[in-house]
Amino acid sequence: MKLQGKTAVVTGGRGGIGRAICARFLAEGARVYAADLSEGGSLDLPGGDADFIRLDVSREDEVRAAMDRVEAEAGKLDILVNAAGIEVEKTIEDTTLEEWNRSFAVNVTGTFLTSKYALPLLRKAAANGKTASLINFGSYDGFIADPGLAAYCATKGAVHALTRAMACDHGPEGIRVNAICPGYIDTPMLQSFFTGDGSGGGGKDIGALQQAVRDVHPMRSYGTPDDIANLVNWLASDEARYASGQLWVLDGGLSAQVQQMRL
Amino acid sequence: MSEKVAIVTGAGRGIGRAIALRLMADGYTVLGCGRNVRGPELPDAAHWVQASVAEPMGASRILAAAQALGRVTLLVNNAGVQVEKSTLDSTDEDWDLVIGANCRGVFNMCRAVLPDMERSGGVIVNIGSISATAADPSMALYNASKAFVHGLTRSIAVDHGPNVRCNAIAPGWIMTEMADDAFALAKNPQAARADALARHPVGRMGTPEDIANMVSWLASDQAAYVSGASFTVDGGMTAASPLNPGLF
Repeated sequence: MKLQGKTAVVTGGRGGIGRAICARFLAEGARVYAADLSEGGSLDLPGGDADFIRLDVSREDEVRAAMDRVEAEAGKLDILVNAAGIEVEKTIEDTTLEEWNRSFAVNVTGTFLTSKYALPLLRKAAANGKTASLINFGSYDGFIADPGLAAYCATKGAVHALTRAMACDHGPEGIRVNAICPGYIDTPMLQSFFTGDGSGGGGKDIGALQQAVRDVHPMRSYGTPDDIANLVNWLASDEARYASGQLWVLDGGLSAQVQQMRL
Repeated sequence: MSEKVAIVTGAGRGIGRAIALRLMADGYTVLGCGRNVRGPELPDAAHWVQASVAEPMGASRILAAAQALGRVTLLVNNAGVQVEKSTLDSTDEDWDLVIGANCRGVFNMCRAVLPDMERSGGVIVNIGSISATAADPSMALYNASKAFVHGLTRSIAVDHGPNVRCNAIAPGWIMTEMADDAFALAKNPQAARADALARHPVGRMGTPEDIANMVSWLASDQAAYVSGASFTVDGGMTAASPLNPGLF
């Protein structure tokens, strides 16, 4: 029980990765708020129940109200996980201004807003020599590009830089700031990426496509939400008390390789 | 006596030869060197000394030959070898060969030219590789040796400025005889070439001249504020995810 006595907010808490993080935090003894725009899927998880906060992370009033509620009920916040994110599967030519703005609103502005309004609560948790942990979601796409994901790649690069900036600014207050940069993780978002439009990939054999993607990975598989939750759990715990300002790539070795010419 | 002498190691063919030709066009007196006797591809105006950079005596012989031509203002460490093996398969001889040429050779040459360059100024350009930061499979010693090159580049820049500038270039896939051989061995050479091309945002593979262009710029006054840096020249290949471009 690494997180006994800690309070956590997980945005995107009902999503593929967010839900796995909530379940892990509960199993480790934390009090968990799952914040999400969606109300789908149960939050009655194996380790207990997560409290739900309906939240659009891009709306300042909603973020402020969410943190007010956490303060009233828990008095402090030890862990903030910014896992809410969306992706638009298009090149910039096909991306509308609205899609571009929405990508930044959720992925970047959302990270900014939740972090900004969580800071007073994180400071309270970081008193008396303890640290608080803020964990953002970047992506390996913030380093190298997948085709047809332009806005997503750009938002994740922004999250990486913001992570370093926040780590510099708030480290002296005992707040550790890190980003996890997942590669291919088996989530609804990934399935949507495989199928393109959710309709079955326009005649492509999805199974063959998935196998081909696995084969490109040195580990010969893509990751699971639990793989991500394992690292989030460590970064959230006191064991990671000296870990800050880093971009933690978790991608089964995918980005450790150069392009593999099929000779 | 020339006021601008450039040493180009491994200048006999491929990238090194292109660098030598470009620097001659830029007005340098070029001293090429290699483990072999001078090949027919270098023009007569290029000077040549047969020596191995892996040996300390080789480096001092190369420097002496260059100093006999004039003031050495540029060193391009291009000489390099590769052994296509994993860590487990690599022998002590492989270690001596790869680390000897790619690490010790670069180190020997830099150490040899630095005293004069610290006094009267100079530029060092090291040829590293994109494999320094992301691994090519079964190239363990080569990958590691190129990481050394980029690390040493930063150290020299930090320790031996302001009169010495030192930078590295990380080439991607450059079409040399070495690359031609690799494609020729493919099960389907045509498909292998098409696949490789699709991974290059600029729509072509690199040429030795692409690397020579960057050497020329780094050596010039245009790069007067550039030191300790690594420049990737790979047609955009490492900007893209390693996933097969045909998949999506």
